[in-house]
Amino acid sequence: MSDLDSLITKKVADRYLKREVLGEGTYGVVYKAIDTQTNQTVAIKKIRLGKQKEGVNFTALREIKLLKELKDPNIIALIDAFPHKGNLHLVFEFMESDLEAVIRDRNIVLSPADTKSYLQMTLKALAFCHKKWVLHRDMKPNNLLLAADGQLKLGDFGLARIFGSPDRRFTHQVFARWYRAPELLFGTKQYGPAVDVWGAACVFAELLLRRPFLQGSSDIDQLGKIFAAFGTPKPAQWPDMVYLPDYVEYQYVPAPPLRTLFPMASDDALDLLSKMFAYDPKARISAQQALEHRYFTSPPAATNPASLPRPSHKGDNNSKVPESNPNEGPTVLSPPRKMRRVMPNRNDGGEENVHNAEKLDDHVSGSRLTTGRSSSRTDTIPMSIDFSVFGSRPPPRPTINRQFINEESCSGSLMMVEDL
Amino acid sequence: MAANFWTSTHYQQLMHPEDVDVVQQLDRDRGITLDDFKLVKMHISNYITKMAQLVKVRQRVVATAITYMRRVYTRKSLTEFDPRLVALTSLYLAAKAEENPEDIRYRFDIKDILEMEMKILEALNYYLVVFHPYRSLTQFLQDAGMMDLMQFTWGIVNDTYKMDLILIHPPHLIALACIYIASVSKDKDSVAWFEELRVDMNVVKNISMEILDFYDSMKNNIEERVNVIFGKLPSRS
Repeated sequence: MSDLDSLITKKVADRYLKREVLGEGTYGVVYKAIDTQTNQTVAIKKIRLGKQKEGVNFTALREIKLLKELKDPNIIALIDAFPHKGNLHLVFEFMESDLEAVIRDRNIVLSPADTKSYLQMTLKALAFCHKKWVLHRDMKPNNLLLAADGQLKLGDFGLARIFGSPDRRFTHQVFARWYRAPELLFGTKQYGPAVDVWGAACVFAELLLRRPFLQGSSDIDQLGKIFAAFGTPKPAQWPDMVYLPDYVEYQYVPAPPLRTLFPMASDDALDLLSKMFAYDPKARISAQQALEHRYFTSPPAATNPASLPRPSHKGDNNSKVPESNPNEGPTVLSPPRKMRRVMPNRNDGGEENVHNAEKLDDHVSGSRLTTGRSSSRTDTIPMSIDFSVFGSRPPPRPTINRQFINEESCSGSLMMVEDL
Repeated sequence: MAANFWTSTHYQQLMHPEDVDVVQQLDRDRGITLDDFKLVKMHISNYITKMAQLVKVRQRVVATAITYMRRVYTRKSLTEFDPRLVALTSLYLAAKAEENPEDIRYRFDIKDILEMEMKILEALNYYLVVFHPYRSLTQFLQDAGMMDLMQFTWGIVNDTYKMDLILIHPPHLIALACIYIASVSKDKDSVAWFEELRVDMNVVKNISMEILDFYDSMKNNIEERVNVIFGKLPSRS
């Protein structure tokens, strides 16, 4: 896949033999390298210093901070970090592919046992994070990386953060939209591990269907898609719903039998799926409980990771492009390479607001793919967060960001007890 | 959070006092003694606190910044790592690492900080998660029914950052030591409550003694001594 002539063998920081460039990351170039100490193939992210001269990129810093704490077979390992020529370099274990490539690869047949294996590893990674009080906040197939030995490893902790202080308020602008839990879409600022479980449920559904399950074209539409699939929630089902900041009432639609949406899934799979998709975050199954669900003990046994199918052209440009279906609204294309993925709303820390204009979020990419799409719905949409309806690049949204910032901080000037 | 602490890199990195109290060779060459070293670190801690008030960050950020600074000086010399720049950079880095949403970028002269940030990250071995006594303090005081001691004890906890305790002891033990001091000095009967806790009271009492010794030593004229020490360090433009 790579041009052999372009192979460069350059030693970085005396330890790594630099090889070909793998892609452009959110905060810099990613290239393949050989760790001369271990002979291991690694991926090195060279972290570009931001244009705003904010020093080490906020997202990168988050990733460093959390990955140093999270050592687990199902979580990407941060092997090393070093400064070189004024840039910070992060050394990760090299991952061959990701789950999105597997799901998209039409040559791959996923058996129920394979799906079980992928889901089990995903949930193991999540359960570990949650045990360590870390929310990932960006669950999607694209972030579930696959190692050469078939192990699935959760990657990209650029949106992740530590939770556990009661009453801390977070931004709800996390996750790619299709994987965003309903409480986030209703603007909750206080949430927990259940948001990751919803995201994992979307991945589970995607493994079963071989296409993204709930492909909303805007936040409002996303909720519409969710309710169409599971029925509009009644207050009895989710008592806190009506108190959420951005709650709007949706027309009541009944839930179709789940079986009709997933005709091929086993009863156990459907039972687990419905528990992971529970509306009320308090009632949603935890990652650990999900691992103990009978789905994982009933036959067929989960496929051994080493025997799992591999995508034919790993990380190849074409393999990552999903067919867009005009009937289902705009499809957010994953970028051709994993590292250059679209990052929705990476601004909850207030660190990147200023140069965010150049950073696309999924609203933008959605709108870009559908230039010329009617914007007639603009007026009917009660929230201003969604920019896809404008059909053009959004403004940097300083006001919204500021709002998140203040909310996320409790209060910057008060040195509050609850703060710590 | 306690379960979390025991598996954290903070816990893994706790040091023995004798490893913290090491003056780097370069500093010793300039005549810096161990007492000088401790005093400088206290002075920088105060400086970080003052700077933090200017840029308005949460107490947690201040505490993390001071911890970063103290961790840096377990490996680096005052001579090579300009204390004031380390102070500013630690605060800057802590604000980012603690998700402090205030955009403090614009309140600093960033140019000097950028270079130092990378050096500090390296000196910290990229370990950025820090636990603090504040959270357990609140929980303990609630449990003991001594919420009226909150403000007093909170102040003592703040003062512990003028020492290296955070590098040496688990944060909840530091919190308990502060509660112990507060309850004794305010004549609160906390004996029964402490007895019910499954902690080594000898450790708590030792930490308390260290804190009291520190308060005692602060009675001398600090300002002058600090100026003398800074005279020994390389001057910066």
